[in-house]
Amino acid sequence: MDTLKRHFRPEQLRELSLVFLIVAIFMFFGSQIEGYFSPRIFNRVTSDVAIITVVALGETLVLLTRNYDLSVGSVVGLTAFTVGKQLSANPDMLPLLALLMALGMGLALGSINGLLVSYGRVPSIIVTLGTLAIYRSILVAFPGNKIVVIHELPAWVVDFGRVQLFSIGELNIRPVVGAALLMFVLFQIVTTYMPYGRRLYAIGSNPEAARVGGLPSKRIVFMAYMTCGAMAGLAGFMFLVRYGDLTVVAAQGLEMQVIAAAVVGGVSTNGGSGTMIGALLGAFMINLLQQSLLRWLVISDFWVNALLGMLILVAVTIDLVIVNRLRDVWARSGLQIKPVDEEWRVKEKERHVP
Amino acid sequence: MSRRLQFLKSWEGLLLVILILVIGFNVVSTPHYLGLQNQINLFELHIEKIIVALIMTFIIINAEIDLSVGSVMGLAGCVMAYLWTREVPFGLCLLAGLLTGVLTGTFNGLMVSYVGLSSLVVTLAGLIGFRGFAHVLLEGNSVGNFPPWFEKLGQEPFIGPFPFAMVVFFVMLIIAIIVLQRAGAGRYVYVIGNNREVARYSGVNVKRVKMTLFILSGTIAAFAGLLMAARLGSMRGDTAQGTELDIITMVLLGGVSIFGGSGTMVGVLLSILIVLNLRNGMGLLNVTGETQTGVIGALLILSVLVPNIAREVRDAWSRKRRVQRIQEGEEPEGG
Amino acid sequence: MTKVETTTPVLQVKRISKRFDTTQALDDVSLDLYPGEIHALMGENGAGKSTLIKIITGVYHPDEGELWLDGNPIRVAHSVDAQGYGIAAIYQEPMVYPDLNVAENIFITHRRHGFFVNWGKMYRDAEAILAKLDVKLDVRMAARGLTLAAQQTIEIAKAISLNVRVLIMDEPTASLSAHEVEQLFNIARALRDQGVSILFISHRMEEVFGIADRVTIFRDGRWISTLPRSEITPERAIRDMVGRNLEEFFAKSEGERGELLMSVRNLSKENVFSGMNFDVYRGEILGFAGLVGSRRTDVGMALFGVEPADSGDIILDGKSETIRSPEQAMRLGIAYMTEDRRLIGLTMPMSITSNISLPMLHQYLSRLGLIQRSAEEATAEQYRERLTIRAPNIEQPVGMLSGGNQQKVMLSKWLNTRPQILILDEPTRGIDVGAKVDVHHIINDLAAQGLGIILISSDLPEIMAMSDRILVMREGRQMGIFDRDEATQEIILTAAMGQNGGTTEIA
Repeated sequence: MDTLKRHFRPEQLRELSLVFLIVAIFMFFGSQIEGYFSPRIFNRVTSDVAIITVVALGETLVLLTRNYDLSVGSVVGLTAFTVGKQLSANPDMLPLLALLMALGMGLALGSINGLLVSYGRVPSIIVTLGTLAIYRSILVAFPGNKIVVIHELPAWVVDFGRVQLFSIGELNIRPVVGAALLMFVLFQIVTTYMPYGRRLYAIGSNPEAARVGGLPSKRIVFMAYMTCGAMAGLAGFMFLVRYGDLTVVAAQGLEMQVIAAAVVGGVSTNGGSGTMIGALLGAFMINLLQQSLLRWLVISDFWVNALLGMLILVAVTIDLVIVNRLRDVWARSGLQIKPVDEEWRVKEKERHVP
Repeated sequence: MSRRLQFLKSWEGLLLVILILVIGFNVVSTPHYLGLQNQINLFELHIEKIIVALIMTFIIINAEIDLSVGSVMGLAGCVMAYLWTREVPFGLCLLAGLLTGVLTGTFNGLMVSYVGLSSLVVTLAGLIGFRGFAHVLLEGNSVGNFPPWFEKLGQEPFIGPFPFAMVVFFVMLIIAIIVLQRAGAGRYVYVIGNNREVARYSGVNVKRVKMTLFILSGTIAAFAGLLMAARLGSMRGDTAQGTELDIITMVLLGGVSIFGGSGTMVGVLLSILIVLNLRNGMGLLNVTGETQTGVIGALLILSVLVPNIAREVRDAWSRKRRVQRIQEGEEPEGG
Repeated sequence: MTKVETTTPVLQVKRISKRFDTTQALDDVSLDLYPGEIHALMGENGAGKSTLIKIITGVYHPDEGELWLDGNPIRVAHSVDAQGYGIAAIYQEPMVYPDLNVAENIFITHRRHGFFVNWGKMYRDAEAILAKLDVKLDVRMAARGLTLAAQQTIEIAKAISLNVRVLIMDEPTASLSAHEVEQLFNIARALRDQGVSILFISHRMEEVFGIADRVTIFRDGRWISTLPRSEITPERAIRDMVGRNLEEFFAKSEGERGELLMSVRNLSKENVFSGMNFDVYRGEILGFAGLVGSRRTDVGMALFGVEPADSGDIILDGKSETIRSPEQAMRLGIAYMTEDRRLIGLTMPMSITSNISLPMLHQYLSRLGLIQRSAEEATAEQYRERLTIRAPNIEQPVGMLSGGNQQKVMLSKWLNTRPQILILDEPTRGIDVGAKVDVHHIINDLAAQGLGIILISSDLPEIMAMSDRILVMREGRQMGIFDRDEATQEIILTAAMGQNGGTTEIA
């Protein structure tokens, strides 16, 4: 038991089980659906997953610190739409500029979230529920006709999605997928090998200890939100490239898919644990499941969200059970531990008393 | 503590001032603003939301949250509509819709009270999941053609010029005020929200109270969903989508702390009036629904940000006074 | 051994005083810590030890006096400052990051040099530090799954990594097994030999005598003595800790002991307490004495159903009852007043009236479920008078009252449940002398009126003055029950420390 505890962190076990699940899903649907193992489906799935993954990576940064960002869907929609509009008006704009614009916008929008959460000390649920509405309303308030049409966009946007970066056998890796993979690698490195990334875990794991120990929590959380916003901006660019035709409801509800991906992937809603690998696997599994069920024809498209909700609950309950088991092991060595947030809640309540 | 009472009083006072400003502005920019029919319209558009806001007040004071209410509203309506398309007697359809709310509320309550999951996560999953089921039931379709008496109930005046839903709201409002401020149940809600452990040590059955609240929340949300179906005359998979934002805003803006343990129904009533009049005013100025929602979102953030800043200022001020007192030889309370 | 008199002390406490509201927590205390010594600080609860620690680590600021480091005065304004000076403190409940592994816990707060985390180096450095402490711990394991002792070791390692010079250990052994205590002591000795100065607070005589080089004793916020271990005996230590201040306390009047109200037989809760055996009689005050970690509160919580026991019998009225909830306990006539007012005792923003009626709220409801305010208020007024609660009116939020009055409100709350058995946990903690006398009078009256009272208190003179019989607990075990006449402070304290003849086995 000890060697098992030593070599496999619970998270790694979880990730492993996700891999098995994905393989199982693959096998099952492969046997049920004609032409399942085709390049077309591969492209479809990977492109969709790429967009979700990019946002999920940023969202995970925030989740690690025991916060939420519910506004990402609106950020993706807003940046996609804004860049799309710009490109329609100035077709000669440099692609790089368009990308930077998207990133910049996302960064700015994320910073507003970060400011309010870190320095305004408004709970992240409230901030991001609010900015979810505010950003979406900015999008809707766009002057002119409220759509982006693909034939108004410069050619490279349309082609962008079709270009092959490189191929593995018959499977093409498209640029969006490549970008997502690149971001994944970067984020995995940051959260595993860089002090900033490790501090995210510390803050989420024990915010009180982090404060007392002198970690610059506010700055770290602020930067997490900034990055999350930037990633949403990047995803906005990818969204534009993928879909071309956009309306004001672009990417509405995306945040739910992103959070579901992270939670299913093992990122704890209580902060302090979870990996980028998990987020990636979670995004992949959910999307694969969705696409497979769609093609299976037995289930209609509309089961998507129902499924997501159930998946989140199952994932969180399993995690809770595992954590409870760990706590039992702990308790057997004669300890009495209060969950850290209970203390926090009481302290917060204390602040209301002069 | 009297300082805090004062502050709270001044929060409701502040709300009153804001309300007067908003109404004043509206009156100036639109003739007949204060006419009865306009006021009724003002309420009618959002009547289901404000009904749910009443129970949401209890839940947030109890230091929990229910993000799934909008989805339950939709799901209940969709269950009813779905059965209706299947030629089930309408009365049973309505019953089924209500039952949906009872079941979702029980589910939420079980998960939070007995399994011990955080209400945020559970109801977030519910927000997504229940909405999903609503979509599954009706797919892309809009269902209508409800029995005439149902649509009449939803759209025409019921008592005097007031539609049925408004009457329901006022009755529930009065009950809510009485229960929250004067009933034993209300006090339990406050105490648990303020400090769950004190309640437990004092013999209060915390689990049962929370369970009851969630079941009520689901049931009332379902009821509101049915009311919405009656008013709109039709039901779709995405009906009532996004309403939780308004509902939570109305409660938090009303001075109810997100951490639980404080807030009054009067404050929530004032903030409901502010939000309604704000939306109405914006609508009359041809501001789109989406933009209105954005303004409400900003209002939500401000409703927590402003007290925070105010508290910071007050603490800094009292710290300065403490330093003064030390210098004058009085000893402050330590640690 | 230490080279005490020949070097400059690393840390000097010079004439420090600190006052809280009405209590003088520290009164002109001084202390010298030399490099390479283990210095024990002993004293009863309330002697001022924790306050001194908090001043040294920057949590509190002294009203008078100074701290000197290496012969120079310093100001410790914040815990971060203390860290900078090489001062670190370890408490009973370590603050670790449960999701990070051991090595990371040790190094996470370091100012980073370079961009990348060198895991290999981190693991090696962590192992090196642990080796210096002669401890074997898997640095790759998450802190969450580790025992308390291991977590404490992590904290010590953290301190070492920050080049600690003064390591303060505040009751570190209270929840450790004998083996773990030995391990901790080996670490302490290793550190001492490397020149670190250790300030070690403990109640446990055998520990102090096992490890300390010098022993300082505080009493009532004052320094009493500092002696090398060779010159001190357990008896001398106890005498210094106890002193002679019984006079100011109100002695319980002799009363008649009535019928048997409750019998507790073999009550146990795994890993918390075991083998509790006692009886509670009408009109009698049974005092529960013991030191920090003796688990008296846990027994109280078990009797009240908040944290029910695992096994054993609670016999009331001839029947053995399993008490699983406070509701049930109240129905059986048991009431429990917690030791903590702020966190679990009272709802601070609510009025006196509301707080008092809370456990019995169902009795104040009309048929419709509405609260009958007038009845509630009448009750509150009744108690206000009876217990002389000083407040402008009964609608006053409890948070604005003084400690003593808050305590009285809590007492009212529980008296209002008409208990037969009243368990009071530290009823006079943190209140001024005047209020203390009031509360003692009240308790005395209650016993005279026929309640059976369990009085849990860490204030030895108080327990001795108020109790008819005294039950002494140590680390979850019952050490003995003493009659009023045969108990002296020395006897009680000796039993509480486990010196009374070796029945003590640490789990």
